[in-house]
Amino acid sequence: MGRRIVITGVAGKWGSELARALERDPEVEQLIGIDSVAPANDLERTEFIEADIRNPVLARILPGTEADTVVHCGILLYPEPGKPAKALHDINVMGTLQLLAACERTTTLESVIVRGSAAIYGCEGATPYFFTEDLARRMPLRTRFQRDISELEDYFSNFARRHSGVTCCMLRYQPEVGPELDTPIGRYLSLPVVPTQLGFDPRLQLVHTEDATGALLATIRNPVRGPVNVAPDGTISLSRTLRLARRPTLPIPHPLFEPALGRLGDRVGVGTLYGDAIRFLRFGRGVDNRRLREEVGYEPRFDAEDTVRDFAAGLRGRKVGPALHPGALADRLAGAPR
Amino acid sequence: MTVSAPGAAAPEAVADFLRQLRLGVEGGLDPFSAAEGAATALPERVQAAVEALGRRVRGEYREDEWGFDEDFAEAVYPLFEFLYDVWWRVEATGVRNVPGHGRALLASNHAGSLFPFDASMILGAIMKTHPLPRWARFLVLDWAFVLPFLSSFMRRVGGVPASQFNAMRLLEQDELVMVFPEGIKGTGKPFSERYRLRRFGRGGFIEIALRTGSPIVPVAVVGSEEIYPKLAESNALARVTGAPFVPVTPTFPWLGALGLIPLPSRWRIEFCEPIDVSGYGPDAADDRRVVFDLSEQVQETIQQKLYENLAKRGSAFL
Repeated sequence: MGRRIVITGVAGKWGSELARALERDPEVEQLIGIDSVAPANDLERTEFIEADIRNPVLARILPGTEADTVVHCGILLYPEPGKPAKALHDINVMGTLQLLAACERTTTLESVIVRGSAAIYGCEGATPYFFTEDLARRMPLRTRFQRDISELEDYFSNFARRHSGVTCCMLRYQPEVGPELDTPIGRYLSLPVVPTQLGFDPRLQLVHTEDATGALLATIRNPVRGPVNVAPDGTISLSRTLRLARRPTLPIPHPLFEPALGRLGDRVGVGTLYGDAIRFLRFGRGVDNRRLREEVGYEPRFDAEDTVRDFAAGLRGRKVGPALHPGALADRLAGAPR
Repeated sequence: MTVSAPGAAAPEAVADFLRQLRLGVEGGLDPFSAAEGAATALPERVQAAVEALGRRVRGEYREDEWGFDEDFAEAVYPLFEFLYDVWWRVEATGVRNVPGHGRALLASNHAGSLFPFDASMILGAIMKTHPLPRWARFLVLDWAFVLPFLSSFMRRVGGVPASQFNAMRLLEQDELVMVFPEGIKGTGKPFSERYRLRRFGRGGFIEIALRTGSPIVPVAVVGSEEIYPKLAESNALARVTGAPFVPVTPTFPWLGALGLIPLPSRWRIEFCEPIDVSGYGPDAADDRRVVFDLSEQVQETIQQKLYENLAKRGSAFL
């Protein structure tokens, strides 16, 4: 018998990307998507159930699907149109709670996989440079989003403890970028002039879209218990990222960075950088991906540098204004193809 | 990143470049193409420097996963070389006790209240006098990593926040790691107590060495105590800046920025015989007695070598 997989948040970027990949997998017998709005029409064999995961009605729907795997892609990392910052806590924490309550009653369940965030490690100046999975909550939880993630991880590990027969895996994602993906970090990195925090040059790990979905697929095939970091190999500094992307920088003293970006962000369509993004762009964060490689068995295709190069290549195709960066001049002098 | 052109040739080359550029623009080329054509007129060394600069602004350089940027470290190296050779006249002995490859933990005394330069001088001693020079990584007080400029500088030259997880991972990658077991207590001691080692914490560095099977090389540094003699502490300044302590030296804060210039003491650095701990096995890291015994052994070695080198040095400044 093939697998029966339920994806929550299937209308979102991550849920629909995953559904598209799973549709091509012959081992998947049935694919069910849950969301409060309808997903993109190019999904062919995904059965769509319109339901809000915050609604207790989910507890009646989910057991009926006889799913063996639930993939929770409904955690929002930043506000979106129609989903303001205030709703985020509700969607993330209450939504996960309702989903877990529904899972309690689904006896066919073998694994639950949550697409979470590495924000639980925080962004601080002096930290372990590569957080392993057991180092969560070592740093203070400063933002609402961090506290939400921490809270829902608590609920999730309680669920895992009560159901030893169900493999519960929490994937802790570093921020994701890709040439096609539209996220606040991606929009920030593609500004014609990128404001940075004066004197700070964080080490970043950005996950390539392809690896983000790849890691999720690998975990569905081979679920492991407990948290797993999803991150590329190595790190890259913000300054080098922006040089590779040919983006001139505008250093701003760090206390002014958040208000400046808030004002500027609204005007140029970045939106306010939400949650720990401000601290992420000051201190950065590195996580250890050995568990993903060795236990889940997924080798990220892009390392930290390749992710940025691929992203930058996508940017260069897009004309966003005059080439202001000295690197662009250097390209011309070196006769590099544009 | 310095553009080093052979003295007299430089102005001539620039003039030549500008002449070519003007001819190009007058000939109907756009400024970029004209500059490209004119660049061929430059002598080779200038061209190489321009290319290096070009690679830098295009982001075509290497950084490892710790953020260590070797090109950057090499670019600032001459400044530290000046301090090493001219300012502090460092004399290094026993540098062959540092393994040329593979993991090792260097444990040194720590001093220099305002800005401890001992890590950079130990690094300089290895780079300048070791038959197989290698960049060492060093654990830096956490506070440095929340400050603008200092945090990114430290990261680029090989500093990492002082966390056992960082030290273990570096050693597992067979790097050379420098630790200062006295920590802030070492740099913050008053001038009157110079060269008297402080408590070596809880022996965390021994645990790290035991867990990773790394040999420990004790290092004694003489001269670092005299660069900023700490006469008192300013609690008010410490509160304002958030620093762990702010020292008052004969020149700081009285002379402002000039007070940051370290005094030109004479330095000696001795690398002692490595202590092989691999025989104990990684589980010994939980054995407090082994940890304290080894910690004491390292401390006594450094203390003894400090006194020996102080006697050998004679006058502190001349």
